[in-house]
Amino acid sequence: MKPEVGTILGLSVQKLALGIGQEGAAFAQGTVGLLSMVLTLAAKEYERGADIRVAENRDIRALFAELAPTVEDATLRVALTEAAASRDSSLRISDLNSANYTLRRLLTRLLIAAEERGALPAQKRIWAVLKALAERRLVQLGP
Amino acid sequence: MNELEDKLAAYLRAKLAAPELEVVNLARIPGGASRETYRFRARYAERGKPVDRPLILRRDPPASLIETERSAEYRAYDAFHKLGLPVPEPIALELGNEALERPFFIMAEVENCTTGGILSPDPFGQHRERVGRQFYSVLGKIAAADPKDIGLDDFEGATTVRDAAGHEVARWEKVIDEDELEPQPIVRAALRWLKKNPPPPAQKICVVHGDYRTGNFLVDDNGEIRAILDWEMSHLGDPLEDLAWAIDPLWAGADPARPGGMIPRVQAIDIWEKASGLKADPKALHWWEIFASLKGAAIWISAAREYEEGRNIDPVNAFSGWYCLSVHNRVLAERLAAEIGA
Repeated sequence: MKPEVGTILGLSVQKLALGIGQEGAAFAQGTVGLLSMVLTLAAKEYERGADIRVAENRDIRALFAELAPTVEDATLRVALTEAAASRDSSLRISDLNSANYTLRRLLTRLLIAAEERGALPAQKRIWAVLKALAERRLVQLGP
Repeated sequence: MNELEDKLAAYLRAKLAAPELEVVNLARIPGGASRETYRFRARYAERGKPVDRPLILRRDPPASLIETERSAEYRAYDAFHKLGLPVPEPIALELGNEALERPFFIMAEVENCTTGGILSPDPFGQHRERVGRQFYSVLGKIAAADPKDIGLDDFEGATTVRDAAGHEVARWEKVIDEDELEPQPIVRAALRWLKKNPPPPAQKICVVHGDYRTGNFLVDDNGEIRAILDWEMSHLGDPLEDLAWAIDPLWAGADPARPGGMIPRVQAIDIWEKASGLKADPKALHWWEIFASLKGAAIWISAAREYEEGRNIDPVNAFSGWYCLSVHNRVLAERLAAEIGA
């Protein structure tokens, strides 16, 4: 999720410190309302951020373990097998992100390989993971 | 604010040949995220009679949600205002930095109106049917206008009916390549699908508004659309691009059967077809709908980068990078998975 929570907290304070009240009541009201919403979303991300990433990394690794044996490209197959066996080094968001970005890049390579081979069952499995990923990452505005 | 008021007054005195002109009640207002927007009144005398004119100033920010071409936006306002569509009258355009430190333009303010919020479950209430009929009818009229007849045939964009889709995919792929901060497997898959499955050629090349949607027009208390705003992404292209963007699920998407919180999709398309004289071929429209969500994703990716790097700390950029991108990622995932029966 970009921007990161830390960036949002820091820049929200900066935005307030710059004196949005000088811009006039209507603009200040709109900006404060938006800041409030963004900070509420940041609080939710603080609560669920690690959980989302751990679940996503777990699902992608499981997919790689399942599909790696079917991949013809030896280099990609080895990369998938190694990634499937990897583990998150900590529950810090930065560490989880680092692993997640590596996994997501490999996921794109895997999908491209499946598309090029016309491997429909593999594509369907990958899309099931992608749909779950998108659903899990969906930002909910309500409580 | 006083300094800006003084500079604006000095500019308008010269521009309108009104040496006594005063600028009063200058206040920044929310909205139009890609430029700073101010409301003010210009008071002066015209042929001896007092004038009290509500105006809007749109000034370039240091960095914007998406880099857009301000003279194109101004010319689009001018052309469609003259065509008789509900578009505010443009007053002045300045591309230099001398008058107000950054480029800007001024247009008439359409007073006593509201925009429909994109997060609202029912943005137009009892007026939803009336607003919807006007909304798609005006869009059809924009599509019907010949760019040459309205002096906009030199706009940036597609040059032939065959390159409209490819031109837009290339435009937004470049934005994604430049601004992506984290790997986006769904967005990348969408780009590949769009390139592998091009739509039929456009029926014609028209002026595409580029951001025609709930939230970008003003409605009065009677449900009358008084002003189509935010023409900053206007360009030449396929008329279906605007229609697909207008019915995208992000805009007031609580009821998917009523895109934009207005009228049912089937009725919307029917009104657009009648007003434009064009056909919304389902296969072509389907392609443009997937493109619309991809284009949205590109804009939100770009907004997130602007914010993350501190170039524009308007919280709307953070909101877009989180909420809007997450919605479009889900829409794309569902639609692309459906393509292969997943």
